[in-house]
Amino acid sequence: MSRFMKDLLIYCLAKAKKAKLGLSKNKGMRDIMTVYYMEAKTARLSRRKVAWITSGGPVEPLIAMDIIPVYPENHGAMIGASKMGAELCEKAEEMGYSRDLCSYARSDISCATVNGGPIGGLPRPDMLVCCNNICGTVLKWYEIQARYFNVPLFILDTPFCHTEYAEEMKRYVKRQIEEYLVFLEDVCGRKLNHATMEKVGRLSVEGQQLWQAVLDTAANRPSPMTAFDAFFHLALIVTLRGTQITVDYYRNLLKTLNDKVEKGIGAVPNERYRLLWDNLPIWYRLRWLSKKFAEHDACLVADTYTTAWCGTLKYMDENKFLDSMAEAYTRIYLNIGIDEMAKTVMDMIDKYHVDGFVMHSNRSCKPYSLGQYDIRRIVQEEKGIPCLVIEADMTDERNFSESQVATRINAFMEMIKERKG
Amino acid sequence: MYFAGIDIGSITSKAAILKDGRVIGVRVIFTGYNAELAGWNVYRELLGELGLVASDVDKIVSTGYGRNSLSFVDKAVTEIICHGTGAHYLYPHVRSIIDVGGQDSKAMVLDEGGRVKDFAMNDKCAAGTGRFLEVMARALEVDLDAFGDISLKAEKAAKISSICTVFAESEVISLISKGEQRESIIAGIHESVASRISALAMRIGVREPVMMTGGVAKNRGVVKALEKKLRMTIEVSEYAQTNGAVGAAVLAMKL
Amino acid sequence: MKLLDEFHGIRDDPYTYGKKLKAERNRKIIGYFCSYTPEEIIYAAGIHPMRLFGAQGEITLADTHFQAYCCSLVRGALEGALKGKLNFLDGTVFPHTCDSIQRLSDVWRLNTSFGFFADVVLPVKLNSESARRYMTDVLSKFRNNLEKGFGRRIEDQHLRKAIDTYNHIRTYLEQIYSLHSENPHIISGSDVYAIVRASMIMDRDDLLDKLPAVVEGIKRGDTDADNGTKKRILLVGGICNHPDVYRILEKSGGSVIWDDLCTGSRYFSGIIDNSGDPVESLANRYMERPVCPAKHLSVKSRGEHLVNLVKEKEADGVIFLLLKFCDPHAFDYPHMKEYCNRQGIPCMVLEIEDRLPTEGQLLTRFETFMHML
Repeated sequence: MSRFMKDLLIYCLAKAKKAKLGLSKNKGMRDIMTVYYMEAKTARLSRRKVAWITSGGPVEPLIAMDIIPVYPENHGAMIGASKMGAELCEKAEEMGYSRDLCSYARSDISCATVNGGPIGGLPRPDMLVCCNNICGTVLKWYEIQARYFNVPLFILDTPFCHTEYAEEMKRYVKRQIEEYLVFLEDVCGRKLNHATMEKVGRLSVEGQQLWQAVLDTAANRPSPMTAFDAFFHLALIVTLRGTQITVDYYRNLLKTLNDKVEKGIGAVPNERYRLLWDNLPIWYRLRWLSKKFAEHDACLVADTYTTAWCGTLKYMDENKFLDSMAEAYTRIYLNIGIDEMAKTVMDMIDKYHVDGFVMHSNRSCKPYSLGQYDIRRIVQEEKGIPCLVIEADMTDERNFSESQVATRINAFMEMIKERKG
Repeated sequence: MYFAGIDIGSITSKAAILKDGRVIGVRVIFTGYNAELAGWNVYRELLGELGLVASDVDKIVSTGYGRNSLSFVDKAVTEIICHGTGAHYLYPHVRSIIDVGGQDSKAMVLDEGGRVKDFAMNDKCAAGTGRFLEVMARALEVDLDAFGDISLKAEKAAKISSICTVFAESEVISLISKGEQRESIIAGIHESVASRISALAMRIGVREPVMMTGGVAKNRGVVKALEKKLRMTIEVSEYAQTNGAVGAAVLAMKL
Repeated sequence: MKLLDEFHGIRDDPYTYGKKLKAERNRKIIGYFCSYTPEEIIYAAGIHPMRLFGAQGEITLADTHFQAYCCSLVRGALEGALKGKLNFLDGTVFPHTCDSIQRLSDVWRLNTSFGFFADVVLPVKLNSESARRYMTDVLSKFRNNLEKGFGRRIEDQHLRKAIDTYNHIRTYLEQIYSLHSENPHIISGSDVYAIVRASMIMDRDDLLDKLPAVVEGIKRGDTDADNGTKKRILLVGGICNHPDVYRILEKSGGSVIWDDLCTGSRYFSGIIDNSGDPVESLANRYMERPVCPAKHLSVKSRGEHLVNLVKEKEADGVIFLLLKFCDPHAFDYPHMKEYCNRQGIPCMVLEIEDRLPTEGQLLTRFETFMHML
């Protein structure tokens, strides 16, 4: 237990430090996440199973089976936010992993071997659930962890929807959802309770609807929240989708935001320019970036990243959750062609009244970043708004040049000011 | 019986001569554009210095990038093998060698008999080489030879996070303009070089005792930073620059 | 052997070959990038499947579409298309490979116009019955798309003939590898490389006409190869676009006696049982063939395959050839190396971008490695 208490202490300190950054004053989130990681770290004591799962993976059956889901990607984000990414990435490079590989994967792989990072490593998994709807990297990453921990691995293979979600894909993914349930039942040695599953499915859909509503408040002028706030509040819809806690949390958050809208309180004091962010956050420079944009009276009102956790609501049916899950998990933002991605971006530009598009070209994420130049061209042609590309990495700060990024942001903001006056 | 080793590097050419198994002389000259000429000159100059003539020498082995351009040698062997052989010959206890030169860095792990068990070289990127230090010295307007001593006076090391030489240079320039102390910038540069080299060394399972060779081994600051990174003590060979040539001469003896 | 000059010529300049095939014989040609492309179906439609390897030379036009951290295969391929070097193509096919090729498919679809275009979204996992069914579905769909796209019927008998042709080609290629493996002095590694590479470019009927003579020529010792001692090397990786690797390796006293490359043995491994439903038979080969790291058979399959190959081919050492920015291979490398270490198999890694390191540096690495063996 002493090791655990130490880990917990380190975790709380890290979170407390992050809270001081002033990005969000929401104490509820920290409490929920602390309890969540505490439960996950003591799963052995409570005889519950732990599953590591990808961020785009179908978590609802795990919740229904009372398995604790743990997210290495969320862990990667925490590592990045605590500025421990470079050190852990270097450690992975010493293990032989190329420095060109995804920095979430690199830091998680090395973290597992040293129990390092902000929370002293993730709890040991009993199983791994990998859904490749977000990238091919997770497949390799989970193979590595399956070998390291010697635990069963389930792969939910979601065919890439370049231009269509075809009949044969539908059949394949549906069959795999059935296989997934069998896998979970086998590992746990008990059956899934379908009534519980239905309840979790409804809560998941409700949570996603609320998350969408939270993000929608940013359509107001001034916006009561920024994308930087969304990056913070995102944690629950990723990790605890399908629980009552998540629903309650977002309901409260929505109320707070609506109050601000009514009172006309903006997240950026003198909001004049509204921007859209693309790709994962640059976790180790959130505060710096947020200040940088605020200096120019610019508010990042929306982003393509956090909307991914409610972007497929249109395919979901809360009354036939398991059935509709196949399509919803296959057609997420990163698993579609770049022309459809560009359409999504343009819809957001209209919906949130966006003046400029900021793209993070993220060395760690090829499915997100390759194709960005074409999306930029399409958006510029159709919407005529300025676009900015920032070269960086989500977790490995060695790939970030502050002076270079600052120069680009200043030039970009000058362009927008000139256009809008 | 005399045996000779000649190491034609990209910047300098080195020669070493052994007599009865002992190093009796070494010499270093600039290579210039003609590798064969440089090889012949450094060898001839060393012979002259020792009062020897070519026929006194029994066997010659060449090494380094220009090893195949010498027509008068008995065999050409890569510098990695020669560095391993040389280090093992002079210091039989050594198990790992880190060689950092102007253009590349290498790490080798040796077995008990001094044979190379595994090795790694840097990719074409300049990070973790002498060239990286050169670029930074220019940005700081400090003589490269003074780098080591200056950095030892630093109270802390500035953080230089970029791997890319060009980005790192602009980071250094912005540190200068922020008024960061020169000592700590240089210490930061050394840490950056050390972390590239240590990654290379760790990948092949570096183990103690570790010896450092090559021109950069003369920089105490890099050696110290590397010791910290690897959590190992590093010995610097007194033949840091000519270790490859000594190894070649030892191999000549075994021909 | 005179015949080999032709193979070398085609390998050196595949685009000229493609242009000639179009101009002189009016052939329809479909380009592809991945060894999981169901070539047999394309061949059965009377269309020539031609593998594309990325263009040599400066990359400029592709830079407006892809960042520098995208691999040179993807950027080079797009460069070739945008520069008009591939104008002899009547279409392109993109099987699901890796994240980068996936995005190349999108950019290709939006920025080029070669007529026919198809994504063949194969399963990534290959160890389940549902994946096998899906594989068959996807291949059937591709067959239908080709029929519609080119207005031709592809009957089962066409497919059977295609499978037969490919079985023969693959058998000959494997035989050439085996001859070289049994006696590395009988033919040089660069020649073997040229033959296999040209096999992915040439008209397959022409190829099948010529391969028996090549095999006979090799058996007769009709080929130039030097007689120095050769360490037996297994080359492992994705694609190898550098014939110089073979030449420099031989110069340093080694020879590639087998490989686990996408442009090597993975291309010709697996003879297809031609008795059942032809599309199912094609699917079965993909389910069982040695895997590319972008696919999943089991967490251990690639390491085990490597160790088995080393034993079976009596290799002295393994060289990992990693293309910079190729994620699937880079993720597998530490574990594959560990497999080698555990078995006491010496190995080295060579990471390359679009160009090889200088010959001097490469010789140093290879010679040192040969010395260690």
